[in-house]
Amino acid sequence: MRVYSKFVPFAVCVALAACSAPPAERAPGPQAAAKDTAGIGPLDVTSPQRLRVMSAAQYTNTLANIFGPDLKFDTRFPPLVRTGGLLGNGGAIAGVSDSQLEQYQRTAALVAAEVTNPTHRTFLIPCKPVDEKAADAACAGKFLPAIGRLLYRHPLAPEQSQALVKEAGEAATRFKDFYAGLGYALEGMLISPEMLLVAETSEPDPKRPDHQRLDAYSLVTRLSLFLWNSGPDSILLDAAANGEIQTAKGRAKIVNMMLASPRLENGVRAFFDDMFGFDDFATLAKDAETYPSFTGATAADAREQTLRTLVDHLITGNGDYRDLFTTRKTFVSTALAPIYGVPAGRGWVPYEFPEGSPRTGILTHISFLAVHSHPGRSSPTLRGKALRELLLCQVVPRPPANVDFSAVENPKSPIKTQRERVNLHLANPVCAGCHKITDPMGLALENFDGSGAFRTTERGAQIDASGNLDGKSFTDVVGLGKALHDHPSLPTCLVERAYSYGSGGSANDQAKPMLAYLNQQFAAAGYRLPVLLRAIAMSNAFSDVKKPETRTASVSTPSQK
Amino acid sequence: MTATFRITALALGLGMLPAVAQADGITNRTIGYVLTNKAWAVYQTPSGKDECPNGMNDGPREQFKVLFPEDGTKRTMAETQFVREGENWFPAENEPIAPNGKPLPYLEPQGKTGIGLNLDGKIGPNDFTSPTGETGIDNQLYRAIGCVAGFRGPDGAYTFFQNDYMQRQIFNRVLIEITDVDDLTNDPDVTVTTYRGFSGLLNSANGKDFIPGGTQKIDERWGKRYIHSFKGRIVNGTLTTDPADTKIPYADTFDTNVDLTLKAARFNLKLTPNTAEGLIGTYLDVKEWHHHLAVNWTTHHASYGQQSIPSIIRAMRRLADAYPDPVTNKMTAISAALDVKFVQAYILHEAKKSPVAAAEAATAPAGR
Repeated sequence: MRVYSKFVPFAVCVALAACSAPPAERAPGPQAAAKDTAGIGPLDVTSPQRLRVMSAAQYTNTLANIFGPDLKFDTRFPPLVRTGGLLGNGGAIAGVSDSQLEQYQRTAALVAAEVTNPTHRTFLIPCKPVDEKAADAACAGKFLPAIGRLLYRHPLAPEQSQALVKEAGEAATRFKDFYAGLGYALEGMLISPEMLLVAETSEPDPKRPDHQRLDAYSLVTRLSLFLWNSGPDSILLDAAANGEIQTAKGRAKIVNMMLASPRLENGVRAFFDDMFGFDDFATLAKDAETYPSFTGATAADAREQTLRTLVDHLITGNGDYRDLFTTRKTFVSTALAPIYGVPAGRGWVPYEFPEGSPRTGILTHISFLAVHSHPGRSSPTLRGKALRELLLCQVVPRPPANVDFSAVENPKSPIKTQRERVNLHLANPVCAGCHKITDPMGLALENFDGSGAFRTTERGAQIDASGNLDGKSFTDVVGLGKALHDHPSLPTCLVERAYSYGSGGSANDQAKPMLAYLNQQFAAAGYRLPVLLRAIAMSNAFSDVKKPETRTASVSTPSQK
Repeated sequence: MTATFRITALALGLGMLPAVAQADGITNRTIGYVLTNKAWAVYQTPSGKDECPNGMNDGPREQFKVLFPEDGTKRTMAETQFVREGENWFPAENEPIAPNGKPLPYLEPQGKTGIGLNLDGKIGPNDFTSPTGETGIDNQLYRAIGCVAGFRGPDGAYTFFQNDYMQRQIFNRVLIEITDVDDLTNDPDVTVTTYRGFSGLLNSANGKDFIPGGTQKIDERWGKRYIHSFKGRIVNGTLTTDPADTKIPYADTFDTNVDLTLKAARFNLKLTPNTAEGLIGTYLDVKEWHHHLAVNWTTHHASYGQQSIPSIIRAMRRLADAYPDPVTNKMTAISAALDVKFVQAYILHEAKKSPVAAAEAATAPAGR
């Protein structure tokens, strides 16, 4: 592992930090220039000021936006801890271990090599050195500060730029290769804490001196991670530099531009991938003998199918969020078609299941049905639990440690259907409490096996797919979809998740007025996602932060020990 | 163009997919299947002793050793290898005489049991009786190849490679589509159409099997010669058709691309929503089959399966039982049967480019 004098492995223990003072080298942002209050919604709600680790997708998207999508590198960052229903919230409580740092280093080395290789250097590096075998401060000085601004999400102070150019020059001299030197400096930037950690900084709100707000660069970064799942681009950084983002008009202009950008799809995909727990696909496996049609390609495409459906319905079609649970419109690929029992088209093809089909809503997608099943059989309990936790933001208690599963896991059991199997739980008072919460709606999905394929019988017995959800009874999955569609917690759960995702941490009690405001906005707009995203992005709570408390530094480096 | 075809064509033209299949796999009175396994029907007992009591036939290497023993005699390449190579293409009428003064032996299966269909509707002296007791089975190809190791299952070299190349190469894809079908168990009037597909087969997750539910596009540009229709019926789940001529792609090694003509072919397939298994009874043109064997099959492959091409072709000529030459009155074709396995597949018809056809499709009534 290459170690840089300037970029010493930064932290082995990163915790929530309050960075109220901008770094000394940070270029001064707009201070009290704005005369209006930028945000909307409740005035006294704030969100915590956070220090977050960038996710692998945010890192990748940022680099793709800076250097282009054709860069070939493998980003394998460790998973974050799901907190408050979202992995994104886990970024604020993540630690960075030595092995993680090694993975960051590996990715950084790959990216730096790609950017400076002969294929890419001609268009990614804006100048040519006088001599390719020697240092060239002028050329390095054109490239490194410009890239540093995008990687660090703020302009570099002059002394920081000079240090980078010097670093590149020394390396070029050592390697007798200008581009190797440039790559050396770039690699260091890519594993710098300033790149990998999103440390929000704040300032007093000039309009309301007793309030603290994110400074301009932290605000555009928060907006960009929320709506694009990527670091801010040059337009956003310009809006931070000239103070536009801190005005109501300027912020509205920027938010509208971001909502209209194709990059919004990345943001929406990342949010729902997180909210729906699609990280479970990483460990999804099915028994090949039981489900011969379910392959690795099926799993990958199942995730993609639901994300495509979400984007098409919520963004392209600007549809009602609740209709996702009743719509028969989706997309089908070659790998999914055998399980859905339909012909495959060329690549991804839009498909609408016929009227009367049980395939209504994303609950009947393979993504939900297969992920929330066992490797060799369906699971009404897992499906019901997922429905409550992921879609309604409810908490289902974990089973006690001493549960006796022998009755339900006996392979020679005469029990034929999952309904009979889960009914055994109801006979045991210890189990019944939770199973009454999860099973009645999970059983409505029993017409789909553990791979997501439709069935009418199980081990020769006719399947009864009736159930109920919080007092609403139904006879099949179509009824479940309608009951979920009309459930009051369905939209409020999305609001809560979106708000905490955007603000980078779980919504606490203090956020209740904000959530109430967002719920009202969302309902008034017919549950259109872009309206909700805009309301969050424009809200005071999104940009106002809690006044920092005086704390000791929580970021430590080995040299400080 | 039927309503079904028009609906499918329009749907694909619009980038959408046609309707979901019924529980029995029939969609719009249509069900398609793709061929996954084929082998020339050979009756086999576990030991092989019943049908081949004298063992298996010699192949190229064994025959070479008999004809040209290492006895100190000096022989040129032209007198040995070239002669044998030439025999592959131009087999003499009789087996060559070995140094021991005897012609090379060629072993035919013994007994009256054979697999196939009664192609001529008669019960002749050379006909077989099936293991289930059906009489009048016409399968003289079995008599020619039944005691050749390469043709026997499940792992005879010829059988193995035939399937391997068919499964791997999409230009070898054989489809059948049953239309006008209302019931897979009993339907008095259905139409069976053969096509060449050009999509891969659908593998099971464990990679061991080919499974139903895949999609096959039809090669309507280069595959027109493979499109033939048969009238048929389904009785107690078994599809039988009237005879008709057809062709199937029949490439073996090295991606060669050749056709096999099936004369007066007829299907006899047990149908389920997922599979169609059984026999295709037919007459094979001996000259064409010889050409396939000589062109497609290398000597080293033939050696794996102990397949002496000249001996096999001599036997086929001798046993040919149909299509007499109008001049010589010699039979030119031999009765045979292909043991086949199909799995269900959705067969996609290309959208027609004609705006008139598209307009027709838009107004055509949907199937059931």
